[in-house]
Amino acid sequence: MIIRNSGPDIILSVRDLSIEYATDRGTFRAVRGATFDLHRGESLALIGESGSGKTTLGLALVRLLPRAARIAKGSIAYYQGGKPQDVLAFSDQHLRHFRWEECAMVFQGAQNSLNPVLTIRSQFADTVRAHHRWRGREIERRAAELLEMVQLDPERVLRSFPHELSGGMRQRVLIAMSLLLQPEVLILDEPTTALDILTQRAIIEVLRQLKQQLHFATIFVSHDLSLAAELADRVATMYAGRIVELGPVDDIFYRPAHPYTAALLDAVPTVLGGEEQLISIPGSPPDLRTLPTGCPFHPRCSFAIDRCREDDVPDEAVSDRQQVACIRWRDVRRDRRQPAPAKSLAGRIAAQ
Amino acid sequence: MSTVAIPGALAAPQARAPSFLSRVFRNYYVGRLVKALVTVYLVVTISFVVIHLMPGSPVEVYIYNLISLYGIPYNDAKQQAAALFGVNVDAPMLQQYAQYLGQLLRGHLGNSLLSPGTSVASVLLAYLPWTLFSVGLALFISFILGVTLGMLMAYRRESALDHVLSFMGSVFHSIPNYVLGILLILVLGIQLNVINIASMRGSFSPGVVPGVNVYFFLDALRHASLPIATYVLTTIGSWMLTMKSSTTATLGEDYVTVARARGLGDWRIMTAYVGRNAIIPLVTQLAISAGFVVGGSILIETLFVYQGIGYLLNSAIAQRDYTVMQGIFLVIIVSVIVANLLADLLYGKIDPRVRIQSGSGG
Amino acid sequence: MAATLTATREQPVRRLWRQATDGIRSTLSVLSYNKVGLVAAWVLAVIVIISFGAPLVVQEPSPDYANIYASPSAAHLLGTDFQGADVFSQVLRGGQTVILVGLVAAAASTFISVVFGALAAYVGGWVNTIITGLADVVLTIPSFPLLVVLAAYLRLNSPILLALLIAAFGWPTLLLAVRGQVLSLKERDYVEAARSLDLGTPHIMFREILPNMRAYLAMYFVLSMTNAIYAQVGLYLLGFAPLAGDNWGIMLNLAWYRGAIFYKNSFWYIMAPIVAISVLQLTMVTMTRSLEEAFNPRLRKAG
Repeated sequence: MIIRNSGPDIILSVRDLSIEYATDRGTFRAVRGATFDLHRGESLALIGESGSGKTTLGLALVRLLPRAARIAKGSIAYYQGGKPQDVLAFSDQHLRHFRWEECAMVFQGAQNSLNPVLTIRSQFADTVRAHHRWRGREIERRAAELLEMVQLDPERVLRSFPHELSGGMRQRVLIAMSLLLQPEVLILDEPTTALDILTQRAIIEVLRQLKQQLHFATIFVSHDLSLAAELADRVATMYAGRIVELGPVDDIFYRPAHPYTAALLDAVPTVLGGEEQLISIPGSPPDLRTLPTGCPFHPRCSFAIDRCREDDVPDEAVSDRQQVACIRWRDVRRDRRQPAPAKSLAGRIAAQ
Repeated sequence: MSTVAIPGALAAPQARAPSFLSRVFRNYYVGRLVKALVTVYLVVTISFVVIHLMPGSPVEVYIYNLISLYGIPYNDAKQQAAALFGVNVDAPMLQQYAQYLGQLLRGHLGNSLLSPGTSVASVLLAYLPWTLFSVGLALFISFILGVTLGMLMAYRRESALDHVLSFMGSVFHSIPNYVLGILLILVLGIQLNVINIASMRGSFSPGVVPGVNVYFFLDALRHASLPIATYVLTTIGSWMLTMKSSTTATLGEDYVTVARARGLGDWRIMTAYVGRNAIIPLVTQLAISAGFVVGGSILIETLFVYQGIGYLLNSAIAQRDYTVMQGIFLVIIVSVIVANLLADLLYGKIDPRVRIQSGSGG
Repeated sequence: MAATLTATREQPVRRLWRQATDGIRSTLSVLSYNKVGLVAAWVLAVIVIISFGAPLVVQEPSPDYANIYASPSAAHLLGTDFQGADVFSQVLRGGQTVILVGLVAAAASTFISVVFGALAAYVGGWVNTIITGLADVVLTIPSFPLLVVLAAYLRLNSPILLALLIAAFGWPTLLLAVRGQVLSLKERDYVEAARSLDLGTPHIMFREILPNMRAYLAMYFVLSMTNAIYAQVGLYLLGFAPLAGDNWGIMLNLAWYRGAIFYKNSFWYIMAPIVAISVLQLTMVTMTRSLEEAFNPRLRKAG
């Protein structure tokens, strides 16, 4: 890891994590050498296309990988009271305590994340009873409090069954439930995908407010850059299982150092109109079983040179807060210093 | 209609409120009830027709005997028979049919042709409880065991236990239940001499007084044990397999993964999250199969000389006691229908997703 | 010139034959996915061959009252029955009627289901309502008791009649399934295309819709056979089917009612039909299971 630890309030520390899936069609390397730190109260966005390994990484943090997956190497350390604990070595009991009390995860597609035959109240109660011995009244109070924070009516919601609520409502119920035990870390996998625009906005607002009130650290996993722009403090972009760039949100958006990040930013169409063409990244994501040698992005990269095809790419420090996995990052940055009028997202916003 | 423009919003067109009658007919429960009644009616009619088209009846035999043995003229013999059996043999079938229906609606099932004076209802009452007892207990045991084993198999997929149970379930399911019954008697009774077969005939031992006491219950249980064992062995396989596939599917659902992420304990997940959801499709199956085992009891009860409804049907057919046969069919079809209705009700209770649709009508 | 024009239309008989063999071939290849299913299919084939071939070569065993319930020996591999007749030859000859009735019943039931199910779905309207209503009712009626009554009083001197009687109760399940399938496929694109080309209803039915249901039909056919055999042997055992001949069902009846289970030496007389019937049913149920597994990926082995 290139960037020095920026402080004593690190809560989660991932080092060189590699995850593989064994299928009868070959071994998938879903995540390769992921390394990052998460600080207390910070929001980190993991951005990537589908198949980039971002969801797998999220699942690994709570050790909920499917049976076919295997953590090939690396470590995950959770800091409690300043002392690091090896998450991968947790006993079953410790894992049960860790899950939801320390680290909660809201899954992609809340449509089916709640038990269809139990009321919401019962499911809140289940969650609490698995960890503490609160009394019914206490559970009720806490649940109502959280439901109000996510702008739901506790009266109505608590006695409903999941199918009686809309998709957006269910998503908010899950978010409320995830904060029930006041975790230090909240992982959100595609929290706004599959929701309509209005509900998306509502969820984003809710998340922003909750963060302000409760000060938990968040990891957003998404393909949606605008989500990162709104909610994240730091952004990491992932490609083919590798974290290719990591840095503060402003640096990533205004001064991206990796060709992939830059291309992602350029590909975002704008509501402002104009006659520019939609720029998409040529080619398609690689097959994770047969990755090209060297940098996995080189077949689609406009900055690629011969060396890119041959050697594995190490992480390089762009500044003391930003790192990148590209040998031509200086050229990428130089290229963007004079943005064509409507080309960069920042430029468009600045032109307002 | 006024031609004055209504200030503000346009007047909404008046929708025609659905008439009371159409609302009644669109109600889910009324629909089911009507269908049930129609089915009962059809079965009663079919059984009546089938049975009355059959050649030779005890009434005719009786008349014939009176004529040939006692030299009574035909008309007198007919009258005597009519008085004794309570049927008018001369009337065209349609009239007899109407008479029968009339009787039914008043709750009379007629009299047994074999023992004149004994009502069909009383005969049924003497035999029916035994079938209900054995079939009910067997279904209960088979379901509980099957479901538990099925879940176990799903949790331990591909293990040795899974394969062995699958195989055994499959084997017992294929063998016809009467063949298994014979095998049980053969192996347990004769070859291994584990069970005293002779003493197991009948529903209870002679000399034991039926009543509400433990001794009677145990004795009845002993006599029912072989039929119950046969039912259980032949049906448990399908419960196991169905539960296994249902549980496997449920284990893959998102809410199970989320439940684990919430740190819920394994037991709670297994019962309230996996079990309750996996069992839903099976519960309706249970109620429905209850209806059908009653009908299939004829073979097992004959084999084991167990005096239930099936056994009664067999002897009624052999002795051409038509009224009893009709009564039995009625009982069987009613129990199937009741079982189906119960299945629907139960389903609504167990799966909250269904409740809304059925209640609001249409 | 005329010759080349007619060469493009395949003779209907040849086409049916080709479809049938294609169907069998594809079923076999599907079965081979699961080893157990394949073994079951082979065993079934052997049983069928013996059952239909043996009556041609093996004579009906004659009674030999001096030799009742003899224990197995070189001359009588499974001993003799209550009349002294050879049990082994009875076993070899006994399968023909049983399997034949099963086949006919399954075929008749499948035929009725497919024709009327497709009809109900395709035509719709009151035809649909009547057929579906009838199917629901027949489905609810407990078939075996009614079958027993009918068998007791009708004169069933030919096994074919028995088969047809059994088929009269078995059709609703498949009919409703076929109807459901046709209803859903009716709206699919390729059917629309065929309809717009005005290819006629029978064509659409047989060329477009049914081939998609091949798997399900195969499964149902075999399952139907097992049910027919169950009903048939049950009827023989109770004595309500004519006891002429020497099929396995009759053997079972005679062995049971003559108390063959009580004598040490008659053990094989009662066991022979038991084993034969059980093995027959087992092979068919196993085949159905493996067919089901092959078509329903979720049932397959994990990973």
